[in-house]
Order: sequence, then structure tokens, then C-alpha cells
Amino acid sequence: MKSGIGQFEMELQHKAQELVSVLDGGDLAHAMEIIQDLHEFRHQVFFTEVGHLTRGLHEAIKAFSNELGSSLQVDDEEDDNADADAADRLNYVIEVTEKNAHETMDRVDNALSLVDRLDSQSERFTDLLSLVGQLEKEHDGLNGVYDRTCAVKEESEQTIKTLRAELTDIVVSQSYQDITGQLIRRVITLVTNVESHLIGLMEMAAKVEKLSGIESAPASDQEQENKKVEVQAEGPQVKKNSPDVVSNQDEVDDLLSSLGF
Amino acid sequence: MNKDMKILVVDDFSTMRRIIKNLLKDLGMTNVTEADDGQTALPILKQGGIDFLVTDWNMPGMTGIDLLKEVRSDPNLASMPVLMVTAEAKKEQIIAAAQAGVNGYVVKPFTAAVLKEKIDKIFERLG
Repeated sequence: MKSGIGQFEMELQHKAQELVSVLDGGDLAHAMEIIQDLHEFRHQVFFTEVGHLTRGLHEAIKAFSNELGSSLQVDDEEDDNADADAADRLNYVIEVTEKNAHETMDRVDNALSLVDRLDSQSERFTDLLSLVGQLEKEHDGLNGVYDRTCAVKEESEQTIKTLRAELTDIVVSQSYQDITGQLIRRVITLVTNVESHLIGLMEMAAKVEKLSGIESAPASDQEQENKKVEVQAEGPQVKKNSPDVVSNQDEVDDLLSSLGF
Repeated sequence: MNKDMKILVVDDFSTMRRIIKNLLKDLGMTNVTEADDGQTALPILKQGGIDFLVTDWNMPGMTGIDLLKEVRSDPNLASMPVLMVTAEAKKEQIIAAAQAGVNGYVVKPFTAAVLKEKIDKIFERLG
């Protein structure tokens, strides 16, 4: 099966030959008609082709989001609005990671309160130890027990301190949820934008006969948006080695100190 | 540094608000209020009583940089110490925050030690 462009090439050759023979015959009026036909045909073919591509993309996004939906099993509802669907799924990822991050932090909070209890037990231990210290003088068999027990107590206090730091690090590492969530939100915006532009394109392609030319396509407001002067939020940087992006806190500090901070 | 000072933590992600709150608690600061963007934060600030503002940049409604500008332009709030904790890592963004009058800038993801160090530094400078 020939594609739209392939058909156009065949038609073009056919019309060109016709044009030559008409011109040879001296029928200028007919020749102008053929040129006009060619002109219109070109627009129609291009619009139809764009329409096909657009529809294909739209179907692909719909299929993708349906697939995503069935694998996630969020709801059973069949949703025609593919872009809302895809955005819903991505929002669901943010919700799930947020819920899980909070659950992790709940557990860490519980663990930290157990660490607090260990700390208070250690204080009580100190009282008991001072008793052993007194008894040691009266009983030869207890000789050295006080010092050795003190060493064990210190060791255990050090372990508690390390444990507390590890638990705090678990809390801090939950920040992945914020970082990934911000990126997902940007993807949601992108998908929504692409989809709405696609629908615009499809509508335009459908109205091909009414349109006078390709140049009447709506001017890209994206370009204007890019010309923004103000420094705006961009979300987490994925390409960390770009020269205009800092890759760690040290670079932030260097930059700020170069500004007199 | 006064451990009883009232701190406002502004971030649209509840996960991050909780992390920062937890770390502040480790530093002995438990008097923490939360807001999820600049728009909800500003009335809380204007009400008075907040001593220290910790804010994200990228938030719906009002961003952290706009909140910072609002704070600096309000005579009652202008001198408030502001720490920005954000994933925004472009040099021009850090410069813009510095020009808007931020007191400290921490990029996400960060460690407990970095947050502590920056907070200590801000209050060391303020004396």
C-alpha cells in the first residue's frame, strides 16, 4: 500500500505530464487549472499525512497509558481521556512514594523512641554501676568488675549514638520522594501539553479543506515562553555535569562565597 | 542560637517538610510551623512570631524565590533569616537567590550535617 506521500509523487508525475501536453496544445487556461489542482493537492496530502502521524501518536499515548493502567491496577474504569489517564498514573506514583516515605519515617520515629529508651536505661545503669564501685572495695571477687562494666557501657553508648545517626540518615534519604516527585510533575506537565497540542493538530488536520495553507498553523507560544527573562524554578537537574549546574553542596558554597557570602 | 525560636518550614512535599522538621528536632528546635507554598506561608509570616524561615523554591502557587522577595520587601519581615532548601541547582538560580537576599542555600538531596552546618552559620553571622 502506498503512503500518502507516495501517492502524491505518482499524482505529481501524472499531473506534470498532463500539464506539459496541455501547454503543448496551447490551452493556458486549462494549464492554470492543473497548477491550481496541484497546489491544493499538495496541501491536502501534507495535512492528511500530519493527521495520520498525529493520530498514530495519540493512539500510542493512549495504548501506553492503558498498558500502564492494567499493570498498576489502580481502577477498572475505562477512560477515554488518555492524557488525564497518564497524568493520573503518574500522580499515583507520587502518592504511593509519598505514603511509603511517611510509613518509613513512622517506623524510624518508633525506632528513635526505642533509642531514647536505651539512653534512659543507660542512665539508670550508671547508678547501678556506682553501687558496684562501692561494693568492689568490700569484696575481692568483684575486683576489676567496675572498670570492665564501665568499658562495656561506653561501648554500648557509642553504638546507640551510631544507631541514632543511621536512623536519621534513613529519614534524610526519604528526600528521594521529593526529588523524583518534582521530576514526575514536570513529566505530567509535558505529557498534558503534548497531548493537548496533538488534539489541536488532529483538529487542524481534520479541517484540511478549510485551511488555506500550512503557514496558518498557530504560532508556537513555546518559543515565547523560552524567552522569559526572570529566573524560574526548573526542578531537580538531571544532567549534573552541565557547566551551568552545580553538582554538590560544595559548589553551591563556593559560588556563594565568590558572591561575598 | 535560641532553641525556642519559631521556625516556618515551607515545602509542597510533606515528605520534605517532615525530614526538615525531624532534623531541626535533632538540633533541639521543636517549635516548627509548616506551610505548603508561598501563598499559605506569607499570611503566617505577616501574622508575626516567626523567627526563621526555611523554604523550598519550586512550589505551586507562590514559589520560594517570590516568597523571599515578599519577605525582604516587607519592613516587618525584611530582617528575617531565610534558608533555601531546594533541588534548583543552576548557578544563575543560586545567584538570583543570593541577590534576592537569601541567608543560606542548601541543594537537595542534602545530609543532616550540611543542614546543621548552614543553620549554625546563619545564626553565627547574625550573632
